[in-house]
Amino acid sequence: MEQLINKLQKSFKLSDVKHQRENLTFVTVKKDSALDLVTHCRDYEGFSHFVLLSCVDWIEDGKFQLTYLLNNPSGKFDLGIRTFISRDNASMTSAHLLWRQIATYQRELKEMYGIDFPGSPRVDESFILEGWDEIPPMRREFDTKKYSEDTYFPREGRGSNDPATYMKSKLYPDDEK
Amino acid sequence: MMKNSIFNISPDRSKYPEKDAEGNLMVDLDSQKYVKLWQGPQHPGVTGNMSLELTISGDEIIQAKTHVGYLHRGFEKLMERRKYIQCFPTCIRMCVAEPDYNEYNLAAGIEELSGIEVPEMAQWLRTLVLEMARLQSLLRVVPGQGGTFALGLGVQWGVYLRDLILDLFEELTGGRVYHMYILPGGVRGLLPDGFKKRMEETLKKIDEFVVNIDNLMFSNAVFKQRAKDVGIIQPEWIDQFGIVGPNARSAGFMRDVRKDYPYLVYDQLDFEPMTMNYSDIYNRARLRWHDLIMTVDLIRQIMAKIPETGDIKAPTPNVLHWKIPRNETYIRSESSRGEYGFYMVSDGTDKPRRINLRGPSYVHAISLLEHMLINANIADTAAIMVSLQTCPPEIER
Amino acid sequence: MTSLKDILSPFTAWKNVILEPVTIKDPINDRPGAARYRGFHKNDITKCIGCGTCEDICENEAIDMVPVEGIETKDGDSGLRPKIDYGRCCWCALCVDVCTTNSLSMSNEYKWIDTDPDNFRFIPGVDKKSWDDNEAGWKKPEPNYEFYGLKRAEMGELHPEERDHSFIEFIKGYSKQQAQEEADRCVECGICTATCPAHMGIPDYIRAIRNDDIEEGLRVLYETNPLPEICGRICTHKCESVCSIGHKGEPLSIRWLKRYIADQVESEHYKKILETENLVKNGKKVAIIGAGPSGLSAAYYLSLLGYECTIFEKLPEAGGMMRYGIPEYRLPYDQIDKDINYILSLGVEIRYNVNIGSDITLDQLHLDYDAVFAGTGLHLGRSTRIDGSDHENVYQSIELLRKITLGEEIHVAEKIVVIGGGNVAMDITRSLARLQKIKYGKVQTLATSLETEDKMPADREEVVEAREEGAIIDPGWAPQSIEIVDGKVKGLHVTQCLSLFDATGAFNPQCNLDNKKFFEADMVVESIGQGMDLGYISENIKDNLTMGPRGRIQVDKYFQTSLPWLFLGGDIIQGPDVIHGIANGHQAARGIDNYLNAKG
Ligand code: SF4
Ligand code: SF4
Ligand code: SF4
Repeated sequence: MEQLINKLQKSFKLSDVKHQRENLTFVTVKKDSALDLVTHCRDYEGFSHFVLLSCVDWIEDGKFQLTYLLNNPSGKFDLGIRTFISRDNASMTSAHLLWRQIATYQRELKEMYGIDFPGSPRVDESFILEGWDEIPPMRREFDTKKYSEDTYFPREGRGSNDPATYMKSKLYPDDEK
Repeated sequence: MMKNSIFNISPDRSKYPEKDAEGNLMVDLDSQKYVKLWQGPQHPGVTGNMSLELTISGDEIIQAKTHVGYLHRGFEKLMERRKYIQCFPTCIRMCVAEPDYNEYNLAAGIEELSGIEVPEMAQWLRTLVLEMARLQSLLRVVPGQGGTFALGLGVQWGVYLRDLILDLFEELTGGRVYHMYILPGGVRGLLPDGFKKRMEETLKKIDEFVVNIDNLMFSNAVFKQRAKDVGIIQPEWIDQFGIVGPNARSAGFMRDVRKDYPYLVYDQLDFEPMTMNYSDIYNRARLRWHDLIMTVDLIRQIMAKIPETGDIKAPTPNVLHWKIPRNETYIRSESSRGEYGFYMVSDGTDKPRRINLRGPSYVHAISLLEHMLINANIADTAAIMVSLQTCPPEIER
Repeated sequence: MTSLKDILSPFTAWKNVILEPVTIKDPINDRPGAARYRGFHKNDITKCIGCGTCEDICENEAIDMVPVEGIETKDGDSGLRPKIDYGRCCWCALCVDVCTTNSLSMSNEYKWIDTDPDNFRFIPGVDKKSWDDNEAGWKKPEPNYEFYGLKRAEMGELHPEERDHSFIEFIKGYSKQQAQEEADRCVECGICTATCPAHMGIPDYIRAIRNDDIEEGLRVLYETNPLPEICGRICTHKCESVCSIGHKGEPLSIRWLKRYIADQVESEHYKKILETENLVKNGKKVAIIGAGPSGLSAAYYLSLLGYECTIFEKLPEAGGMMRYGIPEYRLPYDQIDKDINYILSLGVEIRYNVNIGSDITLDQLHLDYDAVFAGTGLHLGRSTRIDGSDHENVYQSIELLRKITLGEEIHVAEKIVVIGGGNVAMDITRSLARLQKIKYGKVQTLATSLETEDKMPADREEVVEAREEGAIIDPGWAPQSIEIVDGKVKGLHVTQCLSLFDATGAFNPQCNLDNKKFFEADMVVESIGQGMDLGYISENIKDNLTMGPRGRIQVDKYFQTSLPWLFLGGDIIQGPDVIHGIANGHQAARGIDNYLNAKG
């Protein structure tokens, strides 16, 4: 694995190399070279199996992390290729020509995070949600609790007490801070 | 391309559907040559709530689109708002048929990210429930393939035996379907008294079932006629689509996480997953039947080798404020449908930043199924789908 | 291609026709849940303490903590009980596994039909259910299965051999890792807060330790307690006796955690962290008598409110009993100074060696200041008054301890008997043991008390550590007389003590006169309690004060006496306890503020 990373370092600017396990390594590359690296790994390094494409919302940094996880079935190890894209007008080059299932991932990411993949087949068709008019729900700022409070009604008669506050009210109510 | 039999209608595909210059299908519904047919989400031949939007011409499928979302509960999102321990009751619901792989993956991920070693006893028990989960799932799926051709008897046998396994689950874990047995650090209980004996009694019944289903289904002229040479997976698709597990093994690719990336105590067990060289519905069902036999054997091996007693759980940080430093990992295990993986990202808080499930059906039920259904006969739709062992909850999470 | 076998073999399924059906005939009765089944909850309502931890872990918010009629809120029990909404519960049993008392469990009942959905919200154990007595059902797995640590983090201590001949502090204090390990065990229930006399924000400062936010921790401490270094060492830690974790394991080391926070911060950073750099004076003056815990506490909180405070102290240094009653190995003087110097840095003035009454009268203070707070301690030793107790080699522990602090030479005999079983008795026993070790190279100190071992009022660890240091503790004996031969003390006669209190609860020791013992000694120390000296309150003032039961001066909840300008607190009101003193001082400060604000 180390060897492979050293080799890749020569042609791609890898950063944040993390050997998580002996058979799993994560690297970060610039957005522009991410798909070049993915393609290179598929064509020349034996990563013939595409495991997943996932997104992590680092809202505090204004970034989406896209992770392309590739697997080398004969070498039996995985390479996670991370790239960071801006959260505003989020968009990424489509990889649907590399593996057949990638279009599905990209369609889901469009719907759940609002990341566009221009040219990806059916990318604008709804995937899971129907008639959704809120912001893409997997974005961190989408507040599930608030949404459900606004959308549904609470059950009558519920209500709880915090033990410490309740004890104060019973045992030493006059003690102000 | 299709076989030569009385059930086969050889269509003349020269005219329909026409393609435009770029090769896209030209489907004009108003031309009355095509009909849209929705199969599902409520349909006896559909596993779970999934629907197929089929465009048919005569009884031939021209185009298929998979629709999911009838079951979407946003579990991945919900887990981002919960403490790690609170993710367990949520994650198990991402796969109803085999919830235990969720428990295992999540626990293993938390343990890896926190550097926790699981006691040996707990590893054996985890292996046991994972195999039991596979067994109860296969008991439904193997005869279920017959069900798609209206052979319902085997399904009844399977459901009964599955319930016997659920009885054992109930004894061991306190739950029948959602077991909540694997937690970070270990498991929630040793084998109850007499468990091995009752397990063996049930396995004996399953041995009989294995023979009976062979007679009923695999040596059945009708089943053979319907299942052979239909729904073929071409070997080159395995990598192109990302096919895993039994679907890949039937096409000649050895893909089994238990062998490729041994976890728990699988390296101490003796088993050889089967591969085949021709992947049609019949062979895939047959391969799952072999898997079932292998699972029964694995459980027997586990019952023989499992230590009498030992620690079931390693000490962990207080679950109420267990924080994990920023990091990420990918954990995989072999479900009955193939590689079941969790991509997990922690951010230093007591809640996960992201948990992303990669279930086999994400590929099998969408890009692959949509592809395989083209030019299939509508009567075979359910059979093809079931032969891929699709499971919608793991798609929509 | 189609073989005959393939046509015939499916017909073998017909053999099932002769088999018995497998369906359970009467599932309602024939199919109980398994022994571990996770069915409807049960709760042992007498064991449950209403800590709410089950509510915290429930990811479905299925649990509400609600008051229950007949269950009283008291120390260590919030009086609340969990009510479960089965419209939300998913039967995961995490609440059972996390329960701090093991009171919560589940039955194996899974069948229950009712037409009213509201019936599916109930308080297990309170609302009676048919499954309450089911033995089967989920219980927390045992053993070695816990959701949080039950054992305390190791605390570094000096070995007995290292410490028995010196007065250096022997509890080393937590390292960061130990403190975080210990803080991790807290479930943040807040049950302990009510029991702490100062109602400190215990779970809050423990959380600050977990988050490694020491500054926040210090702020939480000073909200209710301006003497954290001191309390972090010698507080009687009543909170620990009710800590939820104590029901299954060892309670949180709340006291050591408090000390950890204070230990981490250098004195010069206090003002900045606590935002006391620019206190605005309000022009009013308060006199405080006694620089003990209550006086210092009152001075601190009054200063925060802008009052100018002057403390009058009889002894040459501040701290009161904390300095003059507690040996240095438990509470080093530099730590006392750290807390006190911070209070002084806020502008509080202390006048040392001033005797109220003789040097300046209380009436004078009344004239010179807007209000007076007196927080004097119990500095008079009490005698057993048994035969021989007036001998010159019979001492009062409180006087010896004071002299040790003042650096005065005290008499240390080769064989010493201490009478008393409280913390002060242990303090003098251990101090004398150290002095013996230094002087004679061996320890021959014995302590005896009326109370039997299990009822000794001293903290358990004090007794254990005293023994480790070579002292003998022989409790359960009533002193009868001190034998004096040729004017020299020879020892102490005791008889077995059977009980301390009579049926009415009055102090009335009963002895078994047939079971006697004689403890050889050439010096006896009495340590059976202390009395107060209220000599500084002149007669004309006393006449105007309303007295309460047992000869104590009556005060209201703000420690205000019937003379509105005079507030009394601390040991003279609540008995000897540092943390009570601090709480009194804080409350009195609020009272003084209210009083002076109302006065205008
Ligand atoms: S069993 Fe689970 S869901 Fe039900 S009340 Fe307990 S913690 Fe909540
Ligand atoms: S955790 Fe246990 S003791 Fe605490 S309130 Fe819940 S049931 Fe009662
Ligand atoms: S210290 Fe104990 S009683 Fe106090 S909040 Fe923590 S666990 Fe609860």
